Amino acid sequence: MSFWLTCGGMLAVTFGSRLAGLTLHRDLPAFWLRFLHFVPIAVFAALVTPSLGGSRGEGAIRVAAAALGGVAAWRTKRLEVAIAAGMTAFWLLRLA
Amino acid sequence: MFRSGFRAMTPLWLGVVPFGVAYAVLARDAGLSLVETQALSVLVFAGSAQVSAVGLFGRGAGGLEIVFTTLLLNVRHVLYGLSLGRRVPLTPRQRTAAAYFLTDEAYGVSVARGARTFAFVLGAELSLFLTWNLATFAGALLGGVIPDPERLGVDFVFPLAFLALLVPLLRRRVDVLVAVAAGALAWLLARSLPGGLPILIAGVAGSLLGALLTSGERE
Repeated sequence: MSFWLTCGGMLAVTFGSRLAGLTLHRDLPAFWLRFLHFVPIAVFAALVTPSLGGSRGEGAIRVAAAALGGVAAWRTKRLEVAIAAGMTAFWLLRLA
Repeated sequence: MFRSGFRAMTPLWLGVVPFGVAYAVLARDAGLSLVETQALSVLVFAGSAQVSAVGLFGRGAGGLEIVFTTLLLNVRHVLYGLSLGRRVPLTPRQRTAAAYFLTDEAYGVSVARGARTFAFVLGAELSLFLTWNLATFAGALLGGVIPDPERLGVDFVFPLAFLALLVPLLRRRVDVLVAVAAGALAWLLARSLPGGLPILIAGVAGSLLGALLTSGERE
């Protein structure tokens, strides 16, 4: 398959996935409404853990820095503060 | 609204720029032209899928294999669409635009900030689209003079950002339980499955668990 045909296929499956959820019928039974309430919680947690450790054997440092970032997020509820706190801790621990 | 959505994403640029540059460098190494490298960022616009695809291109993999891998990595967006579609009213044309530019990050920030308008969502989405494409362009031109993101440690911005989006959502004990279960499951699955699948499986399993545990309650 040529590059452009492959690229078209990638576009189709990606855009299709993105559009499918937005297009589906939204009069849902109560169970699925509760399901959707938990989607961001479950998905965000699933986006955190696999990349928490990194691939350079500095898992302990990253977990410690993430804990600090998590506390910053809890206290301030601000994304940029949590990222700044976590990244600063991470870089400092790396130097130590 | 558009501007506040756009601005809400700026803390993530620190992670997006080096990631976009790194993708472009990998793509050029794999033999893609400047136009092809940029085309994937404009047309597919899915970071992890693009990195996997250029890795497969470089190894001479077939097109079907690449498209199927992309599907596996990106089918999690169905969940984001379902969740976002309930929060933000969209006309059919808005739905198409919102879907085209949808990403983990834009979904996350929109939900966390309680977005109720198309303008906010589109602002958040385009904030990432522009940054990603400019970073792709820079990386494709500059090539290998840039160190890889893991060496700088800026890849760590992404788990940090999703953790920061998650924490304020944990209001009840069942929320914490779902987060711990989904996080643990994703971590286990990520050892053997490609990037997007653990997120989809843990996302569905965690949400099912939450829905089952709260079955006595009213919405």
